[in-house]
Amino acid sequence: MVRSLARPVPSSRPSQPGLSGGRRFAWRVRRGRSGYLFILPALALAIAFLYLPMALSAYWSFTDFNGLTPPSWVGLANYQQLLTDPVFLQAVRNTVVFVVAGQGIGPILGIASALLLNNKLKFRAIFRTAYFVPVMTSLVVVATIWKMLLNSGGMVNLIFGYFHLPTTDWLDNPSTALPSVIAASVWQGFGFETVIFLGALQAIPREYYEAAMVDGANAWSRFWHITLPGLRPTILFVYVIGIIQSSQVFDQVFVMTQGGPIGSTNTIVYELINRFNSLNLGQASAIAYLLAIVLAILSFVQIRVFKEWA
Amino acid sequence: MIRSRRSIRYLFYGIAIVTSAIMIGPLYWMVATSFKVPSGVFAAPPQWIPDPWTLANYRDVFTLLPFARYFLNSVIVTGTIVVLNTFFDLAAAYAFAKLRFPGRDFLFFTLLITLMVPFQVNLIPLFRIMVSLHQLSPVLGVNTYFGLIAPSAIQVFGIFLLRQFIRSIPDEILDCARVDGASEFRILRRIVFPLAVPGLATLAIFTFLGAWNDFLWPLLITQTDQMRTLPVGLALLARRQEINWGDTMAGTTITALPMIAIFLLLQRRFIEGLTQGAIKG
Repeated sequence: MVRSLARPVPSSRPSQPGLSGGRRFAWRVRRGRSGYLFILPALALAIAFLYLPMALSAYWSFTDFNGLTPPSWVGLANYQQLLTDPVFLQAVRNTVVFVVAGQGIGPILGIASALLLNNKLKFRAIFRTAYFVPVMTSLVVVATIWKMLLNSGGMVNLIFGYFHLPTTDWLDNPSTALPSVIAASVWQGFGFETVIFLGALQAIPREYYEAAMVDGANAWSRFWHITLPGLRPTILFVYVIGIIQSSQVFDQVFVMTQGGPIGSTNTIVYELINRFNSLNLGQASAIAYLLAIVLAILSFVQIRVFKEWA
Repeated sequence: MIRSRRSIRYLFYGIAIVTSAIMIGPLYWMVATSFKVPSGVFAAPPQWIPDPWTLANYRDVFTLLPFARYFLNSVIVTGTIVVLNTFFDLAAAYAFAKLRFPGRDFLFFTLLITLMVPFQVNLIPLFRIMVSLHQLSPVLGVNTYFGLIAPSAIQVFGIFLLRQFIRSIPDEILDCARVDGASEFRILRRIVFPLAVPGLATLAIFTFLGAWNDFLWPLLITQTDQMRTLPVGLALLARRQEINWGDTMAGTTITALPMIAIFLLLQRRFIEGLTQGAIKG
């Protein structure tokens, strides 16, 4: 194969001086056929399990559909009803609290612990492993463990009691259930952000810091003018992914609280599944599209804001 | 000055140790509880070491509850999804990166668009498609391996990731092989595949993690204990009114342990893969 490099090599561009027109055409047809062949499995699966479902639920979101009788067109009625439905609005509020609190705490903890571990601590690998192990376990596992720890006779109450802090039945109390679900989720996820920020910190050239030290910059201004700009693409990534994922919170709620008590942990996706189970497929589809539209707008705004910040 | 710097280091170690304990403590408590008798679970003072300890919870989980079956299902589903993604995503990524055919860029663009759409949009129609497929054949659709696997058999993100990798392969290498008469399939297998191994490893890590821990779709599509995966079986156990925490923690340990063990063995690869995906992607 190496020897064949000595021959005039036809490039894959349309201009191929080494080949006659007929052979070049045959080549391109063959390569084109291979192209279609290679994307065929992916495309077939995408049509059946991506494009078709997307189109169907777009249509159903404008219909009254119970899954048994044919859907009947109702225009925007599903969307209008949802936007005035107190149950759905409470689910939206809970989800917003979940996302804002979770994304307020998680990535900040991630940066803080990455900065901590970046101090050339001994046993850094062990600490990093400790932070990261919960990321590997599923949300169901994490939710089950915390359901036990937050039980009225569980570990959290024992420790809080020992330090004379207030104790309660965390998951059965409407004012503590959502914060408890948030805490368990942050506990599970921030190790991921720690590892990613640690990688990004180590990619910032040391010379920048050395030059700043020579110029007499203090620790705070080094952080503000070197570290933070260096982390900017990573921060964007973490927030775009984090907001998209945490808006879809479902698993923890399903295991820990089932949306209760009195709807205090009901979330958008949990409510979507509720409507699906009660055969209100039109409204369930409308919820899915509302979520999709809001997430698309949020992602777009974030990318714009971070570009401005550059 | 030196004294205060040293005390700051002690402070850092203190914070790192306390936070690590908060991370590891609950996992330790999961394992410890799985070896406790019922009276030991919420005993006061808490039993850091189960006393007496018992294997009864594990026996229950494998005899009274179908966790062996859940485990087998999880292995089959996750393994198949990882293998299918390796082949299908790689083939499509190669075509989108290096082959020329009409409509290529348009098709790639329509695939990328779907990355913007959350899974919940597809969920309900997907379920109804699976109901229809099940009427065609009992091995398709709802409550089958096909139903669990097929929607995850390709990933648009995987195609995108591998395409980035394959684009960095010089065209000259591929053209040489073509001049030597190699078919495109042979080029894919003998040249592109070996060169894409680092990308495939990253993809396999993401796919494996996602499939093993996946919950919402397996919850909807499975209807009998015969077909449930570990997270679904565990969640239904943990949702019961009267929870037997010993059994539940044995099930939790069985669900969590394979991932933790694989992570500890392949830690470097995992962290590199995730960091690359984040910083480059």
